[in-house]
Amino acid sequence: MKHTTAFLAFIAVLIPQTSHAETSDADARGLEIATQADERDRGWRFQSSDMEMILRNRAGKESRRKISTRQFEVEDDGDKTLSLFHEPRDVRGTAMLTFSHGLEPDDQWLYLPAIKRVKRISSRNRSGPFMGSEFAFEDLSSQELDKYQYRYLRDEACGRYQCYVIQRIPRYENSGYTRQIVWLDQEEFRSIKIEYYDRKNELLKTLDFSDYQEYPGGFWRADRMEMTNHQTGKSTTLLWFNYDFETPLKSGDFNKNALKRLL
Amino acid sequence: MLCAATLGSPVCADLSQQFELSFQGQFFPSLSLDSNDIQEQFFAGVEAEFISDFESDYLIGTFLPYGRIASAGGDMNHVDIRELNLLYTQDKWEGIVGISRVFWGVTESGHLVDIINQTDQLEGFDGEDKLGQTMIRISRLFDQNTVDLYVLPGFREREFLLSDQPLALPFPVSNDKPLYGADNEAQHVDFALRLSGYQGMADYGLSWFSGTSRDPEFIIQPSGAYRPRYPLIHQVGLDLQLTLDSWLWKLEAIHRTFESDTITDDFTAVIGGTEYTIYGLAAALFDLGLLAEWHGDNREDHTTVPMQNDLFTGMRASFSDTQSSEFLAGIFSDLDDGSNSVRVEASRRILDDARITLEAQSFVNVDSRNALSYLKSSDFVLLSLQLFF
Repeated sequence: MKHTTAFLAFIAVLIPQTSHAETSDADARGLEIATQADERDRGWRFQSSDMEMILRNRAGKESRRKISTRQFEVEDDGDKTLSLFHEPRDVRGTAMLTFSHGLEPDDQWLYLPAIKRVKRISSRNRSGPFMGSEFAFEDLSSQELDKYQYRYLRDEACGRYQCYVIQRIPRYENSGYTRQIVWLDQEEFRSIKIEYYDRKNELLKTLDFSDYQEYPGGFWRADRMEMTNHQTGKSTTLLWFNYDFETPLKSGDFNKNALKRLL
Repeated sequence: MLCAATLGSPVCADLSQQFELSFQGQFFPSLSLDSNDIQEQFFAGVEAEFISDFESDYLIGTFLPYGRIASAGGDMNHVDIRELNLLYTQDKWEGIVGISRVFWGVTESGHLVDIINQTDQLEGFDGEDKLGQTMIRISRLFDQNTVDLYVLPGFREREFLLSDQPLALPFPVSNDKPLYGADNEAQHVDFALRLSGYQGMADYGLSWFSGTSRDPEFIIQPSGAYRPRYPLIHQVGLDLQLTLDSWLWKLEAIHRTFESDTITDDFTAVIGGTEYTIYGLAAALFDLGLLAEWHGDNREDHTTVPMQNDLFTGMRASFSDTQSSEFLAGIFSDLDDGSNSVRVEASRRILDDARITLEAQSFVNVDSRNALSYLKSSDFVLLSLQLFF
C-alpha cells in the first residue's frame, strides 16, 4: 500500500498543471449542482414529521425507535430542530433541541423527563451512532451548503432517473468520513443515493432514498430511507409519516422551555 | 402541538397516557444476621402519566400519581401526587398552577441550587427523587433568557425512614409535629425567582429563594427524640456550565442565610468541576466520560455536613448498542479525613420496553466523626426492573 501511495504522489508532482485545471472546473460544477439542490429546498420556513426507525442486526433481528421532529428554517445559519422520542419506551418523553451552525459546533440541549432536567450537551460527537442505529448524528443533521467541498464526477442513470454524481468532502471537524458520493436526480435535485467512505477511505455505508412525495411549495421528501452498513452487515430503515409544512411554527417554539412541554 | 402520541395516524390524541411498573430488591450485605436490622426488602411501584392538551394550542394538563408497596409494609408503603397541574403557554409568557416538580442546576454528583421540591427520602438513596410541590409559576420568555417567578404555598415536610431501616438517621426522630421558623408554620408561603439562559457556550442560572427551608434542623427533646425544625431561610444560587467541545465545566454555588432564633449558622457551599468525554472508543462501541467535582462548604460541623471538602471522581461509559447500555462508577473522597464511598451503577434495556438497573454502594474507611459514619455498616445493592406501557 505504501508503495502505491508514494507512486501516486510522484505522479501528482509530475502533472500538477493539468490536474489543477480539471479539478477547479469539476469543483465549480460540483458546487453549482449542490447550490441548485440547496436552493430548491429553501423557503419551507417550518415543517414537522414523525419518523420510525427500524434497526436490523446482521442476523436480521429488529428493534424500533419512534421520534417526532419539528424544524424551523433559519436564514444564513443552520436550522433549529426539536426531536421528541416515543420509543423505546424507556426514553419516552426525552427531547433534544439543536441549533445547528454549519461549520461551527451546534448548540444542543437534552431534556430528561424523569428528573425534569434540561442539560446542555456537547455536539462534538458528530460521527457517533444515533440511538444505536446505522445513522450517525452528522447524517441526520441540518445539511448546509458550506459544510462540504464539492466536486462533479459524472452523469449517470440511477434507477428511473438520470443523475448527477458529485463527491463531497466534509469541511467541518470530527467527521467520520473522508468523503461522500451523492447521486442527485437531474430534474428535481433530490438525493437518490449517498455512499459514505470511512476515515480509511473504504466504503462504509450506502443510503438509498425512495418513495418521494411532493409537498406544497414544491418540496420533495422521501418517505423511506435505507442505510446499509457494508462493513458490519447491519442496516437501518427510516420511515417518515405526517409531513406537515402548513401548521405554523415560530422561532419561539424552539427554546429550552419548549423541551419540557412537548407531547 | 406535536401529534406524537399516535405515530402513523393522522390525528392528534387528546389524551396521552403511559404507565411504568417498577420492581426493586434492596440488599444490605454488611448488616449482621443476628440483629433486628433488615437485610433485604422488596418494592413494587406504579407511576402513571396522563397528559392532555384539551385540543387547544395553549393549555396542557398533567396528572402524574405514584404509589408503591413494600415488603416491610406500614410506613414504607408510599403514595404521592408527583404532578397535577395546568400549564398555559403563549409566545412570551408561560404559567403553571398546581402540583409540579422543578429542577435547577448543572452538576452531576450533588445538587445545591435545586430547592423548590422536598426530597423524597423514602424513595431511592441518592436524593434525586422529589415530592410534588404546590405552586404558581409565571415565566417571561426572552430570546435567550427566561425569568421565572414562583409562589409556593403548601410546604411539605420530609418523611424519615424508621430506625430499623438501613440508611435511616442514626437517632430517633420525634413523631411530634415539626417545629417551624415561620409563625404560620406550614402555611407559610414561599417565593422564588430565577433568571436562566444561555449565551454562546455558557448556560447560566441565577436564583433567589425566600421561605421555609426544605432541610430540617433537629431539636433534641427532653425524651431524647430529635424533633425536626424547618427554619426560615433566604438563599441565593448560581449555576453555570461552559460547553467547550469535549469539555463541560460546571459550577453551582449557594449562600444561605437564616432568620433569627435558628441553631444553624449562615453558610456558603460550592460544587465545581468538569466532565471530559472521549468519543467512539473500541471501534465506536462506547463513549467514556471522565468526571471530577469538588464539594466545599464553610460550615465547621463535620458531624452533620457530609460534604465540606470532598472530591467526587467518576467515569461514565455509554454504549452505542441497541440496548443503550450504561455503566457508571464513582468515588467520593473526604479530603480532610480520608473517608470514602464508592458507587457503581449499570443499566441496559431488555426486551423492547423494559430496563434493568443494578446499583451498589459501599462505604470505605469512614472516619467516626464523619457525617457518613452512621451509614458505615449499610453498604447496599439495588436491583431494579422497570416496565413501560
